[in-house]
Amino acid sequence: MSCASFDLKAYALGEVTTQERRAVEQHLPNCVACTEEVERLGVVQSAMLTLRDEEIPRRIAFVSDKVFEPRWYQRLWQSGPVAGFASAAMLAGAILVHGFQQPAVAPVAGTSVLEAQIQARVETEISKRLDAVVAKAAQQEKTFAARLASTEARMQATIDGDRAAYAQGLEVVHKRLTNIVKSSQIAYSGDRP
Amino acid sequence: MIFREVEDRDLVAKARRGSVDAYNLLVSRWERRVFNYILRLVGHREDALDVCQEVFLKAYQNLAKLDDESRFAPWLYRIAHNESFSLLRRNRPDGGEFQEPAPRSSGPHLLPVETSLAVTAALDRLSSEQREAVVLKIYQGFKFEEMAEILGCPVSTVKSRVYTALDLLKETLAPVPRNAGGGR
Repeated sequence: MSCASFDLKAYALGEVTTQERRAVEQHLPNCVACTEEVERLGVVQSAMLTLRDEEIPRRIAFVSDKVFEPRWYQRLWQSGPVAGFASAAMLAGAILVHGFQQPAVAPVAGTSVLEAQIQARVETEISKRLDAVVAKAAQQEKTFAARLASTEARMQATIDGDRAAYAQGLEVVHKRLTNIVKSSQIAYSGDRP
Repeated sequence: MIFREVEDRDLVAKARRGSVDAYNLLVSRWERRVFNYILRLVGHREDALDVCQEVFLKAYQNLAKLDDESRFAPWLYRIAHNESFSLLRRNRPDGGEFQEPAPRSSGPHLLPVETSLAVTAALDRLSSEQREAVVLKIYQGFKFEEMAEILGCPVSTVKSRVYTALDLLKETLAPVPRNAGGGR
């Protein structure tokens, strides 16, 4: 094979198949020009790799940062209780729109009964969903209040404990100081002629 | 390497299902490499940082449009490529076709200094397209097929750019000794 049939740049860049790599490696010991070419390509790559990656001056803002903050409608859509309420409202709206879009028909006996039934079903559905949302919110509030109360109690117990320990420590220091003063007075009165 | 690709794919899938943490992980995984790629194209740290931020924002907003979750890296670099060249076009003084290489920034920790300076100077002499091809190949380690995807051109064009750039770099960084071939 002639030298021109070898893609030495692809070889140097690791873009050859195993078979092509073996062919080049078999050829190199027998060809000074190709060996020099591969060496020069190696020098270029080594030199280039001395130019190291720079550290990023400051980190890229994450999705949770302000810059990625979802828009109001995304937040609304993603919030659980609100989404529940919205879906209930949308359902009610859809039923009403559907009702209005129905072709006008001659009044027949029982129409008012049917309307009343639909209205009752819509109201039942809305009230059921609203109840669920309200119950969920109340449950969340209850849980939060319970957690708050337990945290407050824990904090109060810690504060009481600290206060008692502080008073005890103060008492000990006071006693020690009193003893020191007393012993100093005794020593002072003993030194006097 | 394969393991890493699988992990990226999983993170992309999670991020597409709304996991913010998964996308944050992708950002922290790729930000340094993408920043350096952009820096070598635009040549200015603050500009590179702004473009990098824009790239990750656009990627997040368009994640649903990524057809193949396993192709996240080339897709991300494609966005980085577009944003970088958009900036270069905006910044060109005469409004003509961008050809001149961007001014290079000198890194604070380049050792050995002489070689790094020589490399910087040699890269400056390349056209923006040749330089980008070399950066993607040598610094970012992409395959020719991936580069074609990033640059939006055929593999043959990618190879041509890389090979021409290597020939030019060789003349500067690994010149043939003057007495080579003669006087022997």
